[in-house]
Parts: sequence; C-alpha cells; structure tokens
Amino acid sequence: MGDEQVKENEVKKIKHVYSRGSEHKELIEDNPFVDVAAFLFLEDIADKQGAAGMNNYLMSLATSLAKSMPEEKYDTWEQFLDAVRRGESTISTFENIITPTDNCIVTTKCPFSRAWSEYTRRIGHFSKIHYDVAEYYNSTVKPGAIDTMCIIHQTFRSAAAERIKVGGKPVRYAQIACVSPEGAKKIAPEEWLPILLEKAGITKTEMNMVLRNNTCLWILYIG
Amino acid sequence: MLDVALVSLIQDMSEKAGVEGTIQYWTRVGESLAKRMGKEAYIGWPSFNVALREGRTAFSIEGEVSALTDLAITDEDGDVVGYIYALKRCVFQPTTLRIRYSVGELPKADQDVAREYNNSVRDTAVCNFCVIHQKFREEVAGNITVAEQALECMQLANRGFIGETKIAENAMKKIGMNPEYVRSLLRNYACVYALLMRGARLKGEVKTDK
Repeated sequence: MGDEQVKENEVKKIKHVYSRGSEHKELIEDNPFVDVAAFLFLEDIADKQGAAGMNNYLMSLATSLAKSMPEEKYDTWEQFLDAVRRGESTISTFENIITPTDNCIVTTKCPFSRAWSEYTRRIGHFSKIHYDVAEYYNSTVKPGAIDTMCIIHQTFRSAAAERIKVGGKPVRYAQIACVSPEGAKKIAPEEWLPILLEKAGITKTEMNMVLRNNTCLWILYIG
Repeated sequence: MLDVALVSLIQDMSEKAGVEGTIQYWTRVGESLAKRMGKEAYIGWPSFNVALREGRTAFSIEGEVSALTDLAITDEDGDVVGYIYALKRCVFQPTTLRIRYSVGELPKADQDVAREYNNSVRDTAVCNFCVIHQKFREEVAGNITVAEQALECMQLANRGFIGETKIAENAMKKIGMNPEYVRSLLRNYACVYALLMRGARLKGEVKTDK
C-alpha cells in the first residue's frame, strides 16, 4: 500500500469516528428547563452587575467554552472547510450551516432559537435586559449583536477561530449580519460591508436573499 | 449551545465566588423561574394529574413526568393527600451528553457544587443542576393549589448520569413509603418526588410523634 493510500485510509477512519460523534449530537434535544434557567441565571447577574457586568460574563463564558474545546490544525483550507461543513470543527459544532462560498458561512437556524421560544412560551416577553446588554456590546466591543445570545455566539466563534490553524496560520472570523428569532436584523456598519462582502464572495443582494431564510451570515478567512 | 456555555460559566463562577456562591445563584434562579411561571389551581388530584400528563402545568417544563397514581400518599385518616411523580429523563442529561460530545468532560465544579449542597443544605444532589431543579420544584409546588390547598414537594430519589443515586430516606419515612420500592423506580426513572397537600398530617409523621 502506497503512502497516499495509507493517508487516505487514515482520513477515512478519522472521518468515520467524527461522523459518529455528529450523529450522537443530532440525537440530543435541548431540555427547555435548562435553557430557560440559563437565561434567568444571566438575568440574575444583570440585576446585580448591570449591563456591563453581564456583558463581561457573557464574553467570559463564551471564551472559556471555546478554550475548553480542543485546538485544531489543518493542512489546507479545503480540509478545514470540510470539517466545518460536517459540523466537526469547534466553530460549527453547535450550529447547522451551509457554505455558499469557501469563506462565507450561513447559519440556517440560530442554536439559541429553541431556548428563546421556550422562554417566551413559558415565561413571557424576552426580558429587555437582553437587548440592553447587546446595545452595550455593540457600542463598546463590536457592532453585530441583536441580543445576549448573539454576544455569546459571536464571542465563541471569535475565540474558537483563534484556536484553529490552517497551514500554520490562525483562522479569523468576522460577523456580517444576523436575524433574531423575532425577525430583528443587525447588519455590519455600512462602511465595513463592502470589505466583508468581498471577503465572503457575495453581493449585497445575495446577502439580503440569504437573510430571508437563514439566521446568521459570517466569514472565516486566514489572517 | 446556551446550556453548554453555562456549564463553563459554572466553573468560572465557582472559582471566583466559591461553590457556595454558585449554590446561592442557582437557588435564586430556581425561585425566580417558578415565580415567573405563575400560579395554578385545580379542583382535585385527577384534574391536576391530567394537566400534568398533557403538559399544562409548570412542572411540565422538566420533560416527561409520570404521575404514579398507584402510589397515593394518605394522611392519618386514610384520605389521599398526594402522589408520587417520576421524571423519565434528568433535565441535565442532554446538556451532559452535548458536553461529552463537544467539550469532553464536565468541569470539576459540577461535582464540587453538588457535594457542597449535600453537606450544607440537603443530601439530595447528584450534580450541580439538582440545586436549581429541586428548588424550582419546591417553589412551583407552593404556587399550585389542589382543592384549594397549596402543595408541597418532597424530593425522594434521583439517579445521576453515571449511575450514582441519592435516596432521601427521612422524606420517605414521612410519607410511609418503602425506600427499596422507590429505589426500584430509579431503574426506569431519573428523579422521583412526592407532591402533597401542605400541612397534611401524614401517617409517617404520626408514628414519629408517638
């Protein structure tokens, strides 16, 4: 057996093991109790420490989650993209995505949407503090969040990307746009948009088309 | 994803505020969740048990709960004052599994919080999440009336992800239930608790008094 064949078999073996993990993940449904409790837990923090304190907590928990997951190394962008598409990379492990281009990633359904709908169904209107904290994040960190869920998600992606290397170089993440479960939209500032869309390899019209049926549009690239 | 992120926060919080601080946070969240779900009133046990089966009570947020109607709790006069209920799957199990497949293992704080709760509050926790869960049930019970009487919740037994169990023998004595029987329920259920009318004069309590 040649080297090529050995390498191919090895990759197949790894893919098989990873795929089993992905199947398991598909079978695990959220429990509404834990999700709703998590939101109230965050609201309790906000009551005591205000929007700034809650923002710090959210960013800290997302970063610590990313750091608790294994680092990744890929030889080529194709290998990395393949892992991302199959949900086997840290960066896509919690979400279902499609990739219209090699750098543009689209999240089809927000991984927090079930938690949000359980909250609104069982408790009532989503607490205002979740939007206030997002405003704080937009003005002090990066303008891309609609609510607290976006802060966790975007910080996680950013921290996870830093732990992934492709061809020895770290992967970078940037947020383009998102749509909340209730339909609110947040798009990157007008002056950033041309650069981000160019990196994504899509037009503004295509971006708006994507946002009609999906929840989040972001890019991954080599820094 | 939120639940997995939250677990990493538990570790962080336990390091900063201590496990006692985490217990306090969880307890407050349990209270607040129950409070925000509102009050409920039922004309009798059958209507409450039907509401539970149809997922209409605050308890339904936990998942599939069975009312074990063959295990009625009676007072000293032999009147039915409550029932035993069993949760099919621990509310924390999906989170534990997701952590297993995305992160690896649960942070150390999970068991640290449970251990501290068992030492300082009540010996009924198998994981950190039992703290909020059990508090939530106690508070929800107080918000529900059956035949115009507020309910009380008693934690009886639970089984953790790796098979560890907690049996509250004192609570079982109070309601006159055999601990071995409740232990056998853990083969099919993750968590067993009793709901009964607050202030009911139970057989077990009468025996203890005598």
